[in-house]
Amino acid sequence: MSEWLESAIARAQGINDWLAPKRAHALELLANTKWPTRKTEAWRYTPLRPVERTQAKVITDKVELLPVAIADLSAIELVFVNGQFDQTQLAKTLPEGVSISLGGDLDTAQQAEALHAFSTIKPERHIFGLVNDALAQDVVVVTVAEGVEITQPIRISSLLSQGAESHTRVQVTLAAGSRLTVIEDVQAQGDSFNTAFVEYKVAANASLEHYRFALQTGSNVSIGGSHFNLHDHAKMHSTLVGFGSELSRLDTDIIHAGEFADAKLNAMYLLDGKELFDLHATVEHAMPNGKTEENVRCIVADRSRAIFNGRIHIHRDAQKTLAELNNRNLLLSDKAEINTKPELEIYADDVKCAHGATVAQIDKQALYYLQTRGVSRSKAQVMLNFGFINELIDLMPNAALAEWIRPIIRERFAQMEVK
Amino acid sequence: MSNTKSLLTIKDLHASVEEKQIIKGLDLDIKPGEVHAIMGPNGAGKSTLGYVLSGRDGYSVDSGSVTLDGEDLLDMETEDRARAGLFLAFQYPVEIPGVSNLEFLKASVDAQRQARGEDAITSADFLKEAKAACKQVNLPVAFLKRGVNEGFSGGEKKRNELMQMLLLKPKLCILDETDSGLDIDALQIVAEGVNSQRSADRSFIVVTHYQRLLDYIKPDFVHVLSDGKIVKSGDASLALELEAQGYAWLQKEPVEDELEG
Amino acid sequence: MTEQIDKALAREYEAGFVSDVESETFEPGLDESVIRRISEMKGEPEWMLEWRLSAFREWLEMEEPEWALVDYPKIDFQSISYYSAPKSMKDKPKSLDEVDPELLRTYEKLGIPLIEQQMLAGIAVDAVFDSVSVVTTFREKLEEAGVIFCPISEALHKYPDLVKKYIGSVVPKKDNYYAALNCAVFTDGSFVYIPKGTRCPMELSTYFRINEQNTGQFERTLIIADEGSHVSYLEGCTAPQRDENQLHAAVVELVAMDNAEIKYSTVQNWYPGDENGKGGIYNFVTKRGICHTNAKISWTQVETGSSVTWKYPSCILKGDNSVGEFYSVALTRGRQQADTGTKMIHIGKNTKSTIISKGISAGRSNNSYRGLVRMNPGAEGARNFTQCDSLLIGDQCGAHTFPYVESRNPSAIIEHEATTSKVSDEQMFLCRQRGLDPEKAVSMIVNGFCKEVFKELPMEFAVEAGKLLEISLEGSVG
Repeated sequence: MSEWLESAIARAQGINDWLAPKRAHALELLANTKWPTRKTEAWRYTPLRPVERTQAKVITDKVELLPVAIADLSAIELVFVNGQFDQTQLAKTLPEGVSISLGGDLDTAQQAEALHAFSTIKPERHIFGLVNDALAQDVVVVTVAEGVEITQPIRISSLLSQGAESHTRVQVTLAAGSRLTVIEDVQAQGDSFNTAFVEYKVAANASLEHYRFALQTGSNVSIGGSHFNLHDHAKMHSTLVGFGSELSRLDTDIIHAGEFADAKLNAMYLLDGKELFDLHATVEHAMPNGKTEENVRCIVADRSRAIFNGRIHIHRDAQKTLAELNNRNLLLSDKAEINTKPELEIYADDVKCAHGATVAQIDKQALYYLQTRGVSRSKAQVMLNFGFINELIDLMPNAALAEWIRPIIRERFAQMEVK
Repeated sequence: MSNTKSLLTIKDLHASVEEKQIIKGLDLDIKPGEVHAIMGPNGAGKSTLGYVLSGRDGYSVDSGSVTLDGEDLLDMETEDRARAGLFLAFQYPVEIPGVSNLEFLKASVDAQRQARGEDAITSADFLKEAKAACKQVNLPVAFLKRGVNEGFSGGEKKRNELMQMLLLKPKLCILDETDSGLDIDALQIVAEGVNSQRSADRSFIVVTHYQRLLDYIKPDFVHVLSDGKIVKSGDASLALELEAQGYAWLQKEPVEDELEG
Repeated sequence: MTEQIDKALAREYEAGFVSDVESETFEPGLDESVIRRISEMKGEPEWMLEWRLSAFREWLEMEEPEWALVDYPKIDFQSISYYSAPKSMKDKPKSLDEVDPELLRTYEKLGIPLIEQQMLAGIAVDAVFDSVSVVTTFREKLEEAGVIFCPISEALHKYPDLVKKYIGSVVPKKDNYYAALNCAVFTDGSFVYIPKGTRCPMELSTYFRINEQNTGQFERTLIIADEGSHVSYLEGCTAPQRDENQLHAAVVELVAMDNAEIKYSTVQNWYPGDENGKGGIYNFVTKRGICHTNAKISWTQVETGSSVTWKYPSCILKGDNSVGEFYSVALTRGRQQADTGTKMIHIGKNTKSTIISKGISAGRSNNSYRGLVRMNPGAEGARNFTQCDSLLIGDQCGAHTFPYVESRNPSAIIEHEATTSKVSDEQMFLCRQRGLDPEKAVSMIVNGFCKEVFKELPMEFAVEAGKLLEISLEGSVG
């Protein structure tokens, strides 16, 4: 076991609050978990040295940090600063049918309910999920009432100052027939370390539009997950945009717990420098008639490393499932690395499942074509890279977010080293 | 009507799919050499009739009887019905990747020959016949080597069905909406193929929604199927009448009958 | 329909008989003295014994791999006998006339007559029975062409330098748990050397038979194709029907020198155990080849037997422009478990690999493809294409795909696709409407599914493989 984990366990042992039963359970599991090495399948390509030697510390002093403004986006802001929920940034009045509260402020009955749901959607196999269970100070609980459609998106921002350590946790429940958009965003300064997990329960006929932006770069270590439980006829549409950092790891779990659920996941990550980004997307089809469509695209430049593990698991009862995963990667440099593993595990016969993965470089002919039209090589490269990703940005349902992210991505490509 | 022995006799047939009754008391008598057209609106049970007669899984007969050449058809397995001379030309033929048309056809022909106590056909003889059949339906010989229906266009699939019919030489052919999705040239080729196979000992059930096909394949009898029963029968002129007036007037007729009675 | 198919899958294992041969078999158990005895029986040179012992010591330190999607009780390596040979083989028969007729009958029953006049022209056979090679046919004819085809135990005496140079050069002693065990206790297997510029005049084949109870078979095959040579090699395997599991842990090493080509085909039909998973062979095999410049190695396998299969025939594409191929059909039924696939390691420039895997799962079996494609930094312009298709028959089985794709070279192109399907009701209905009985329909559809792989097999083997699949599926419909 690593020193870091030992100290994390020691810190968690002192806390006694309403989450204590879950924390005790997590600590028990952690005590029996081996610190991942190259031989640990889930961490095969992602060494944990950056965690082992992190100097990040929990900062309790009040720090003023604001989430970045997004033009044309009026969101309900749910802000964590260095791991602490900043109530002052939350609007005083919320739209009818939505509630946002710190778990500690809930009444006993509500707490019991929240406790019951806590860590039931996020799988227990994730070592840092357990660390988060143990170290998150509290849980922010978001609920949308039955049949209510909330047009204003909720943005969950985790803001970290230089050298800060944070562990944040949110539970989102969409009651039957409701609709909600949630944006998860981490904005971290250097040498920081954070774990950020959000669990979503999407009840029957409810619909969730979801975004996760992991735009942290540099010496940040960021490990987190978005986990979804879909009930009968529930729908979700998720978009992930990631830039790498010293270590960025994101786990997405989509569980078809009801029939006729529909899940779409579009993920893109664009890595430069010595960054590493590791996406583990797992889809569990536990019930019949579900549908999943995943598109994952990745561009790696310079000395960066991209890891993708896309697992689709069709359980015995999940007949008539349609599941498809498409993974495309562009490798721009001979020092960069792509490791991808699309997996199918199928136990039902009347299903349609497929995955495809490609690794290639930028289309040389297209590059040449643009150059013959007078476009500089570097500009042409940006255009082609952008085109590869832009197809997925076009699929983002929220126009304001798409317009906001587009120039950021374009700028990212402009900075990528051309070879 | 002559006293020739019937080829196919359907008596008061009731049949269901997934517990839902689709055929609701159907009678039909077909003598050797006759061409019967079955027309009717969508959902009347036209395709179901073909599936029930050929014994598709999931199509269950609730009551009634069907005999082919005096034998109880309903008692037979699907493949035994085929071996007894029943052929269904599918509306949407399925693809079987990797299995070549030639291999598939030879296996089918041999299975049927074997059932009749004949020896398997030699590969050379079969290839000759198959090539001739291709030519007759205007399908390039190369299609014999391709996977069954694999990557065929709609028209090619229909011609491939017809080619199979030519090789299997059935007693009773059921053409299930063979005209659907065909342009006029393709339609003519298919019709010519069918007409060339008309003979005193081969009968046809031509299932179609439109009269168009019947311009090319002249039926001896036309039956209108509506809500699982034959509501009107006549000669070829009935088809023209339907073309002009649609099906609506026929669907109402039984109700009027009841009122009168 | 599923029920029909399941019924059809209940088949007889035709190779399940036991031959009545008096054998000399070691007491079960494994320690250094057993290894010394094996080496002594074979009259091996000292370096070979040392090599075995060092592998054994490595093995003792190693852990059994657990990453494959297979589940079986822990193997008690002390309960296995590591050497068994027919007594009649002790005096090393000089010709076929001296070979125990019961042994010849065994192979004849399996469809492999060893009398040259009765054999298929053009195929030379090395027949390995438990721990020894019984006979190798057509040796004179092969010698005329300069081709060496003999038991590896004999090669150690006659061509020690060649063996010493290449043994363990592709699969290192401590490559993995079962390979290390094999290095310590291997008993026999085939050795092939094709001289420079020679096209081997015949197909070479080895037929492996396990007969004795409670024994393991640990054979070792080494094929060296010198510059510009060409060889096609086939292997087949069967074992009696027994209630106990038996271990088969083989190592195969292929060396394709510059411009050489090796085609290696396997039809694996070890006893698969009964419907309830009782008995059957544990088939834990390490097969790997190295390709030098412009060389090509092509693996084709049809895996229908064994209760547990753990096997990844691989290619190290070291030389520029070298080519690796893997064509696989794996059929599992009953309670069989297969975890099989390949590794293609691209090191040289413009190296190419193709992977076509067809998995068919029926009954309560589990069938996994596990593969690795790695483009090293130097693999400029390298290409890989992978297609993994699974066919599920019934809703009690599993079909899985675990491909690892690793690229470190931007000019390399990797394409991987995987699909899953079933024998559809529509396909069955079309076939039956044309007069085919359900068994024939299923076997035809399954054979069609496997066509891309079967066409890679040498003619005689393709027919045998097709039949094997047919027998395997017999009664699966009804």
